[in-house]
Amino acid sequence: MLRKLVLGVLLVGACHTSARRHEVEPARRIVSLLPSFTELLFAIGAGDRVVGRTRWCDYPPAALSIPSVGDGLPPNIEAVMARQPDLVVLYNAGPNVRAAKQLERAGIQTVLIDLNRLEDLGPAARTLGRLTGREEQAESLAIALDSLAGRPPPPSTTSLAFIVWDNPPIIIGHGSYLDQLASQAGARNVFGDVAAPSAQVSLETIVARDPQWIAVLADSAMTPAFAKRREWRAVRAVRGGRFLLLPGSLFGRPGPRSAQAIRELREKLEHDEVGAQHAAPLHRGTNP
Amino acid sequence: MRWGLLGLVAVLALVLSVVLGPAAVPLGELLHSDIVWNLRAPRALLAFLVGGSLGVAGAGLQALVRNPLADPFLLGLSGGAGLGAVLAIALHLPGPWALPIAAFIGALAALGLVYRLGLIGGASLDPRILLLGGVAIGAFAAAITTAIVALADAAELRNAFLWLWGGLSGASWDSVLLVALYAPIPLAVLLASSRPLDLLALGEESAGYLGADVERVKRRVYVAASLLTAAAVAVSGVIGFVGLVVPHIARLVWGHRHRSLLPAAFLGGGALLAFADTLARTVVAPRELPVGVVTALIGVPVFAVLLRRWTIA
Repeated sequence: MLRKLVLGVLLVGACHTSARRHEVEPARRIVSLLPSFTELLFAIGAGDRVVGRTRWCDYPPAALSIPSVGDGLPPNIEAVMARQPDLVVLYNAGPNVRAAKQLERAGIQTVLIDLNRLEDLGPAARTLGRLTGREEQAESLAIALDSLAGRPPPPSTTSLAFIVWDNPPIIIGHGSYLDQLASQAGARNVFGDVAAPSAQVSLETIVARDPQWIAVLADSAMTPAFAKRREWRAVRAVRGGRFLLLPGSLFGRPGPRSAQAIRELREKLEHDEVGAQHAAPLHRGTNP
Repeated sequence: MRWGLLGLVAVLALVLSVVLGPAAVPLGELLHSDIVWNLRAPRALLAFLVGGSLGVAGAGLQALVRNPLADPFLLGLSGGAGLGAVLAIALHLPGPWALPIAAFIGALAALGLVYRLGLIGGASLDPRILLLGGVAIGAFAAAITTAIVALADAAELRNAFLWLWGGLSGASWDSVLLVALYAPIPLAVLLASSRPLDLLALGEESAGYLGADVERVKRRVYVAASLLTAAAVAVSGVIGFVGLVVPHIARLVWGHRHRSLLPAAFLGGGALLAFADTLARTVVAPRELPVGVVTALIGVPVFAVLLRRWTIA
């Protein structure tokens, strides 16, 4: 409650600042401290005004030629200021709130934006559009993103568990972006009943819930090392080698490419489903 | 009577940890269930072995440094193990056992350094310097670990800390077998040192007069207790509290004779950890608590009650 109140005050403060300065002129030199914001800024045509990014901002390729200010969480204030920005875009989280205050004290305009789930994308795009004077492009992107977020998920034909870490097993629960991604792609997250975005669970819970797939954010095409550990062999999907290896750049963050991520995840699920059914004709009956 | 009760508690803890779990396994299928056979049973046994090892290592170290605050992890081993684990991730060492092996080697390296520091005043292993050296080496290793985590690229590095405080999720028959083959040797060494450890409690000089080879005993106890702890950290991360409080509880009930104190610390530590792990897996199911939280939540009240009873009596 208190936290909400504080955040609310901060947001009102931030918006107030933004509104006042925007009447003067749109931002010219922007430092973006989250890969999703960098992608959104490029998508609304303000990419040429981004003068600083985090080391994780790897899309679009043009972003890679922008100087990096470090890993962004918490931001390195000096590195950010060295880029002489007139706007710093930060993800709304604890250490960033402090950093934003410091930057404001140094006379740099900041904005803290929530971006945890699909439905945060539209508002984020609009905020960025307003601050950069790209309202029209931002609005058309926001409409597409809103409709993506509002789309009722298709009936799930398969199930998966997102494994973030293997020892102790950390899974993705309800209320996270990845959970939305899975349901939009037609896969039920077997830990959809866990309220937290991520949580530690027992291995036997994963065995009992028996997901069809084990989804892992991975930048290599190699099966994760835990697949070879004996205790993980108790999970049927691990025994069957049914891993979905999802590159973090596309799948790990909400952004203008979320629709593409959903489409590609669905293709992976369907494509491999067909393959699996050829291997195991017993299940052919479930395929329409 | 006391032994019977402790044995009963230990058996009960083991049975409960096999019967109870977040997944519903009907009692009738208990013996045929994959979950019970491949996950719960090895995890219960590993918890018991690790808890017992930590209890004995703690009892031995407390006698050695004659300091009631001594904990198996106080002597720099957790810092060394953490550094090993982070290095294994940062260097992308391949294989399913890379992390535990690297943590074990890190703990051994810390053990070697602290041992060397302990000998700094000459051939005699000084317990005070051991303690200081352990804290210093631990802090040093932790600083390097933090630097690597802060500077290296791999996002999964932050998870190395999860692993380090991870508890018993990695339990399998492989790890049980490993510990069951490894632990009896240092355990036997410690048990064989029972009598000299009793004498050591009187002070090093008196122990020497009474015929104990003080220097050899100290070295043997230190190395054996640390080797036990290093194995524990490799298979289950840093589980606090068991090695600190179980020896005290055992001492309150069984007195200061190590011949009975050490076996009691083994059974007590094993029972505590097996029981704590059962709670960790079940109370917030389907989620899981870090087992170190539960050992502290159970151990402190038991300790407080016993302390009160024995100091009043």
